[in-house]
Amino acid sequence: MATDKSNLQLVVNGILNENPIFRLVLSMCPAVGISTTVMNGIMLGVAVLFVQVFSSCTISLVKNWIHPRIRIPTYTLTIATWVTVIDMVLAAYLPEAYAKMGIFVKLIVAFAIITMRLEMFASKENLTHSFWDGVGMGLGFMVGMMAIGFVRELLGLGTILGYDVLGFRPLLFFILPLAGFFCVGLMMGFFNYIETRYKRVKQG
Amino acid sequence: MKDISTIIFRLTLTCLVAALIMGGSFIVTNRAKQHNQQVNEQKVMLSLLGYSAAKPAPASLALHPVYRYLVTEQDVQTLGYLVPVAGGATDAFALVTIALDGKFVARHDLRLAPEKAEQAKERLQAVQTAVGSGKTIQYADQTIIVTDNGQRQAYLLPGEFPGFKTFVKVILALDPGFTVLGLEIMEHEEDPGLGGEIVQDYFKNQFRGKPYEALKKLGVVKEPLPDEYRGALEAGKTGRLGPEEVARIQEQYKDHDIYALTGATISSRSVTNGVKGIVKKFAYRIAFLDRVLAEQRIVVPF
Repeated sequence: MATDKSNLQLVVNGILNENPIFRLVLSMCPAVGISTTVMNGIMLGVAVLFVQVFSSCTISLVKNWIHPRIRIPTYTLTIATWVTVIDMVLAAYLPEAYAKMGIFVKLIVAFAIITMRLEMFASKENLTHSFWDGVGMGLGFMVGMMAIGFVRELLGLGTILGYDVLGFRPLLFFILPLAGFFCVGLMMGFFNYIETRYKRVKQG
Repeated sequence: MKDISTIIFRLTLTCLVAALIMGGSFIVTNRAKQHNQQVNEQKVMLSLLGYSAAKPAPASLALHPVYRYLVTEQDVQTLGYLVPVAGGATDAFALVTIALDGKFVARHDLRLAPEKAEQAKERLQAVQTAVGSGKTIQYADQTIIVTDNGQRQAYLLPGEFPGFKTFVKVILALDPGFTVLGLEIMEHEEDPGLGGEIVQDYFKNQFRGKPYEALKKLGVVKEPLPDEYRGALEAGKTGRLGPEEVARIQEQYKDHDIYALTGATISSRSVTNGVKGIVKKFAYRIAFLDRVLAEQRIVVPF
């Protein structure tokens, strides 16, 4: 079952139609726990992007040799290997970036979105498609995290990317983990509402 | 049955390949990683002492590490301090063991190249050979004594204490009278946006300038941080206030308790208690060490 989508469509698909957070509703733990600021969203998004692309490519390359009974352990091992390697390389050669991103990279091993993408896509598609799908999913995750982070940082801390915009903290509640659920739920509802309205308008 | 053997074989193979990749990248990157950590620590230590790229440390400034070990011999515990010995070769060290009540126990001389002394493993080996068998040696912590032309300028204390979730690693700088010169958080896993704010200037700089007397009974208050004080604490970053102004405000608040972070009282309290603990224990131990060094006429460069 090879996909008939172009590379660009694959990337856009990851950001919009199959956005990991608002459409597939995967990897909600980090989406709720870490998305307190826009910066956190960007950092985690970049980390996911790299791990997803590397893992997708690896699985796509070795897909013919993976025994169907042990595919999930194989995916997990692949992800864990890439996470560890990226973690070590960052720590060694980009210490400044690592100081900011270190904790995010280590979190990724348990991300459902990456395993799911390997199972649904990379294990059936060729290398190029898997690569672009990985890029799309990574970007989609980043956009989703940034959107949640934007709302929570603005409402919780009154800042955006660390810059004071409001000058006060409207609702400190929003940076607590609990508020992540409210935020994600309300935003998902909002996006669904826009989508239905859009479809209705299009149909006339 | 056929399946099982294939599965076992493939899974083993996958694990082996993964292990090879991870091991390979560890070997390649480990040296650079450790180097980075050391460079970073060095930079933090100098910045705690008030030196930076714009104001480099003078050549007369020297950092002397003193390593503390727990020496156990048949249920009797003593503290072993590995100190450099002055007036001889650079590789002359002495392990001075002190009983828990502060009495001198023994002195073991050993030779250890300074670059080897920085490696935990080789240092432990050298110490073990020096004290002889039958004793268990356990590394406890490290203190760096800073001297300028042989005069004690400051103590740098790397340490750790429990935070809200797990250990918080810090480096603390004290002047010879145990007044805090600065605090730097090296590693922590507090919640971002809440306890994670302990790394911010407006929290960690509150410890700066606290005298030993105030520190001994330092507590945490849940009050809003006064704007004037906040300005002084963040002066290093904003550059709005002059050094005299900052010193004046710091002086005004020097006996005041630590203002807790909003939504992170536990983290604020853990850091305060942690810092308090480190300083109190250190002040207690260094007094014993200094007395023993003086009594035994062990000449040290600090």
